[in-house]
Amino acid sequence: MLCNTYKMTVGLMHSVTLYHWEPNANSGKPMLALMEKGVAFESHYLDLLKFDQHQPDYLAINPQGTIPAMVHGERVLTESTAIMEYVNEEFRGPRLMPEDPRDRWRVRWWMKFMDQWLGPSFSMIGWKVFVGPAVSSRDPGELQAAIARIPLPERRVAWRKAIYGEFGEEELKESQRRVALGIRMLEQELAKRPWLASNQYSLADINGFNLAYALPLSQPALSNDELTPNILRWLRAIYARPAAKACWALGRTNLVKRVTILEQPHSGGGG
Amino acid sequence: MRMTLYHGEPNGPSLTVLATLFAKEVQAELVRIDLESGQRHTLPCAQEPLVAMSVEGEGAVLVVAGEAMTDSVFIACYLDDVGPGAALRPADPYGRWETMHWCRQMTERTAPAAAYLGCWAHPPKADAALLERIGSVDLRARWQQIAAGKFSADHLTDSRTKIHQATEKIEARLDGRQWLMGRFSIADIETYAWLAGMVRLVPAAFAAKPRTTAWLGRVRTSPAVAQALALSRTGDPAASWSVGPEINRWG
Repeated sequence: MLCNTYKMTVGLMHSVTLYHWEPNANSGKPMLALMEKGVAFESHYLDLLKFDQHQPDYLAINPQGTIPAMVHGERVLTESTAIMEYVNEEFRGPRLMPEDPRDRWRVRWWMKFMDQWLGPSFSMIGWKVFVGPAVSSRDPGELQAAIARIPLPERRVAWRKAIYGEFGEEELKESQRRVALGIRMLEQELAKRPWLASNQYSLADINGFNLAYALPLSQPALSNDELTPNILRWLRAIYARPAAKACWALGRTNLVKRVTILEQPHSGGGG
Repeated sequence: MRMTLYHGEPNGPSLTVLATLFAKEVQAELVRIDLESGQRHTLPCAQEPLVAMSVEGEGAVLVVAGEAMTDSVFIACYLDDVGPGAALRPADPYGRWETMHWCRQMTERTAPAAAYLGCWAHPPKADAALLERIGSVDLRARWQQIAAGKFSADHLTDSRTKIHQATEKIEARLDGRQWLMGRFSIADIETYAWLAGMVRLVPAAFAAKPRTTAWLGRVRTSPAVAQALALSRTGDPAASWSVGPEINRWG
């Protein structure tokens, strides 16, 4: 595991260590939340494609072998969305949850929808296109042993499907249907207000950016300046934030380089 | 603020929201709907995206100032924020993380299993015309599978395993504790709401778990939960099920 410390503005009584992969999907959520709050943290980059997350030194921290995990003093925290709420409440810095209780409900509704309904469909496509091909050329025996070490049975199934290209046509079609519907829902919601769940930048936006930042590249026929001007406006507004720039600069693979699509100028409308 | 709660029999998501409402002493107009016959899809708000696409499936709907809110844990967090009753989440951020983490595991792993087994034992029935009105394609597909009596043996087995895993987790958590988070909280209500109906359907998961058994009794007789359960019209709310969250599609 490689290790870097990002010194930022807020002093801490206890050190924060984040175990993460790329600034993408679940790993990117606490990374961006910590950076938005200005919390210094020690970054432990786990190479998902080398199965670092299933090695004994990480399993000693998170026995489920899922990424990310955050260690704050003696506390070990998992589940990226719950970690973000903790980061927001525990540390000083800009508030990342709105004041109004109904706005907070909306933030949580969207985070769950993205975590549990839309995200897995994005991720199935991403694993088929990126993760599977990135590891499938390795030694077959080594891959089998790597799969056998995965603690959660559900994750074993996911990895097996990605590595051996076993996603069925029907499940991929269903994922594509959900991605298309999710894009329409995001566009409709972002037409109502500047940010996804309230008039204030919040954890829902951090969550959503990690899910959707590459949309104009990965789904160009469904998300572009003409069809989804509000999604593009929203993604560009988040990418323009210093925390997002700093966060995505930590990426090491081609996966996160896709974010540069957002550097192209806005060519459409959008409110 | 004017609130209307559309709820079904006090089990699953309806029980969570009703018990939270009572514990927090929030005033709302209570409107009974028959979730087991899909009646939620006849409400004026049924096609609103945050109702139609709720991950929870057939749950309660709280309408506040014209906005229809779904997903029982998050409605409970809202009520905890606005109601004068005793707090239902710990005050410190770590305790709040534990509560949200616990509820996430409950809604993502236990709830789909409990709803699947509940619907298998006590199938909800909606007429074909009503099924056509269901806005979410995947929720409609789950209804159609149940209407056709198609239950997968693999899913039934996996669901029973998930109930065992939940009760093992609860039994371990209650070592030295009366309540899951130390004090009575949303985690107790939500966990009880999904598991009360599993005692008869997966009895082995509750056998030789004295702490879990005693805790079920404590939750059932706690004032707010007892008040919610007293609203039952069937006399057996734990046997009342409708279509729940989907079982994970992958990983």
